[in-house]
Amino acid sequence: MLSLSNDPFLLMSNSISNKKTKEWAESGKKVAGYYCTYVPEELLHAAGFLPFRIRSTGAKDTDLADVYMVRFTCSFVRASLNLALKGYYDFLDCFVVCNSCDHSRRMFELFDLKVFNRDDFKKDVKKYYISVPHVITNVGFDWYLGEIIAFKKRMEKDFKIKIEDNDLINAIQIYNKNREFLRKIHQYRLTKEPKLTGTDFLKIVMANASVPKNYANQELERVLEILKDSPGIGVQGKKRLMLVGSVIDNVEFVELIEKSGAMVISDFLCFGLRACSDDINFDDNESALTSIARRTYFRTSCPRMMNDHERRLQDLLNEIKNSKIDGVILQRINNCDLHGCDNMLYMHELKELGIPVLNIDREWYQSDYTRLQTRIEAFIEMLEK
Amino acid sequence: MNIIEIKSMYEKIIMNIKIKKPEDRVIPYQMLLEAISTTKELVERILPENGIPSLRIGLNEIESGLEKYLERAREDLPVVGYHFSLPAEFLSCYDCVPVCIEGTSYFLAALHYGGVEKYYDKANNWGHPFHTCTSQKGVLGMTLDDLFKFDALITPTAPCNSTCSSYPFFQHFKNFLLIIADMPYIREDKSYVYFGEQLQNAIYELGKVLDQEPDFKKLRDAIKLENKVLEVKLEIFDLIKAIPSPIENIYNPVSCATSVFLSGMQENLSFYEKMLEIAKKRYKNGEHHGSLEKIRSIWPYMTTFFDISLCEWLDRNLGMSILFDIFNYNFFEPINTSANLDQLFIEMAQKTMNFPMTKQSTQFYYPFIDDCVNLAREFSADCFIYTQSLACKQFGSIPKILRDALKEEVGIPTLIIEFDVGDARMTSLKTFKEKISMFVQTLI
Repeated sequence: MLSLSNDPFLLMSNSISNKKTKEWAESGKKVAGYYCTYVPEELLHAAGFLPFRIRSTGAKDTDLADVYMVRFTCSFVRASLNLALKGYYDFLDCFVVCNSCDHSRRMFELFDLKVFNRDDFKKDVKKYYISVPHVITNVGFDWYLGEIIAFKKRMEKDFKIKIEDNDLINAIQIYNKNREFLRKIHQYRLTKEPKLTGTDFLKIVMANASVPKNYANQELERVLEILKDSPGIGVQGKKRLMLVGSVIDNVEFVELIEKSGAMVISDFLCFGLRACSDDINFDDNESALTSIARRTYFRTSCPRMMNDHERRLQDLLNEIKNSKIDGVILQRINNCDLHGCDNMLYMHELKELGIPVLNIDREWYQSDYTRLQTRIEAFIEMLEK
Repeated sequence: MNIIEIKSMYEKIIMNIKIKKPEDRVIPYQMLLEAISTTKELVERILPENGIPSLRIGLNEIESGLEKYLERAREDLPVVGYHFSLPAEFLSCYDCVPVCIEGTSYFLAALHYGGVEKYYDKANNWGHPFHTCTSQKGVLGMTLDDLFKFDALITPTAPCNSTCSSYPFFQHFKNFLLIIADMPYIREDKSYVYFGEQLQNAIYELGKVLDQEPDFKKLRDAIKLENKVLEVKLEIFDLIKAIPSPIENIYNPVSCATSVFLSGMQENLSFYEKMLEIAKKRYKNGEHHGSLEKIRSIWPYMTTFFDISLCEWLDRNLGMSILFDIFNYNFFEPINTSANLDQLFIEMAQKTMNFPMTKQSTQFYYPFIDDCVNLAREFSADCFIYTQSLACKQFGSIPKILRDALKEEVGIPTLIIEFDVGDARMTSLKTFKEKISMFVQTLI
């Protein structure tokens, strides 16, 4: 049986910085940290930056962050702040935050005052804030596009660079290719005999968000080659589950599900399928930047988009149908109101449609492993009956 | 038609059968009126004639306002739920029964015998997360019990995730039409223009739902009245700088209630005018409501709505004045009522974006810290009491920074208490009293 678990590319998901980020920084190139998928990665790439999505991987506690954030704050955000306060994100040259949620939005001020203003830290890290509308409308898009144009101008001024149309078009092509590779890999999860686990897919997506995209594309192509010839991982008969809800960047949680006797066949996560389910349709009718902004704004949304639950539900139902799953696990990190309420709606809607569903809350760190395991195992048992 | 649509149609039919009288569409307003009458009776019978005037006056004015709303409900006018940060006078261009979602939960929590916990639990049991705002959760639970039947709900997308995530329930599970005005989380001139357009569109959309043309004369009149309220409020605010403070603590929650329920009504102006007279008199005589004013505190967030008797206890037992809470230090520019419609809506947008909580949420927190430092100096505060609500995630990353700023720049301490504004079970009144008593020992 072929396993991806020790693949060097997947292993890059195990830590914050990796060989490639170090090489990148050592060659004098710049790294842009960002919190959320509403920050257009293609623009950062076109500006010559390595876009690095902020994660909490490897955080063991939140003691430093807890000084600044009360316990009602999302533990993912606190864990990432904790790492930053310890210097794990010192390799960043700029930092981009949008108002994706109340927790991560306040990272702008805390990184500004407490991370990049530390006595032992001398680098002038530029900070940017993008105000994203909470609804999906054409007027909302105009606002968002205005914010992205302003952000581009500020970056050009701050770093004395010029982001040309060609750079943006090139970025679109690289990122579209990247998403295409991820979708192809995802297809190997969906077969009757899956060729990779949900844990592996999560590692791939996380590694993908932490390395230069040209390199990522080479690696994804290589992984695809491996999978093409793989006979499958021998999990036929296991219950097929779909994972929905809050951000997951710790593989332990997915591993817990898969060790409990099920396979995570598909997902509806921002470190997952939601990040790669569609492409930028670029043509001569509008500028490359507009196309980038259009895709980022109109794609399958996060629950922060207040008027889009119906479309999200439809996308979710399509993926449920497509992936032929036996049940859905809705999960939220405690204190995540957005996913918590969206999951509440999904729970009732999916039950009405006769789709088995488990709705659980968790902390970012696996503090309540046994409780979660019991609930997940009970759900799988229920599916087996 | 899918199964979800069939179910919601069925629920609608059942609900219409349940409603026997038009006012049954707003049963919690009847409950609130009853709770106010009972409290008022207690106040009238137990307290001396001049005891806690803000409570006495406030209850009278709110009772009068609610009676008017219920009268409108009896006339079968449409019921419109609105978010507290959308000033109620904006709805005065329509003949409707405005229902403040957040105000209803919290003022029932404050005045209703038995509180609102039953409805929070109902919502939680239905799947609503425990950590969302009880201000919405209360009405959500009441709606699950069919105590409300809205024709529409209107809300901005601020100030928080709880707002953005809780309101869709009404649309998706009760089929109440939800009108959303998107508010940018950034404070620039373009934000007011954008939100002004959003607000204007939302008001027109509401008109279509209600099948009414907006009466902008009524709107301008209501705004004019609120401009007067603002003047009076500012005068009271100025008097609070005096030592001792001429305003009793309970003025804070009562003022919050009148602001969210009675905006645009004569009753609101009447409340503040009467309070101004009392404040002036006390100021002239150097009087304090409680015993001796020993400590002047500022509460940059909220007081305990699950039991507002804390205010009186602080006044009388500890001699601690609450100079103001979040609802009583955020002011805005008066709106020019003779401006053209577009400009009027831009100014209405400015007012909404400067509303308590919305202001802090749509800004970075640097101005909030500056405001607190300046207010501490200007009002000779001895301390801050920072109540951190479970639901207010935006405020959750501020306390430490604020405490440091107040200590360094003004030299005063801050007590941080985590609680739920409307749920007595998270941090009880007893715990509050104990924490504050211990804190006070370090001050005196």
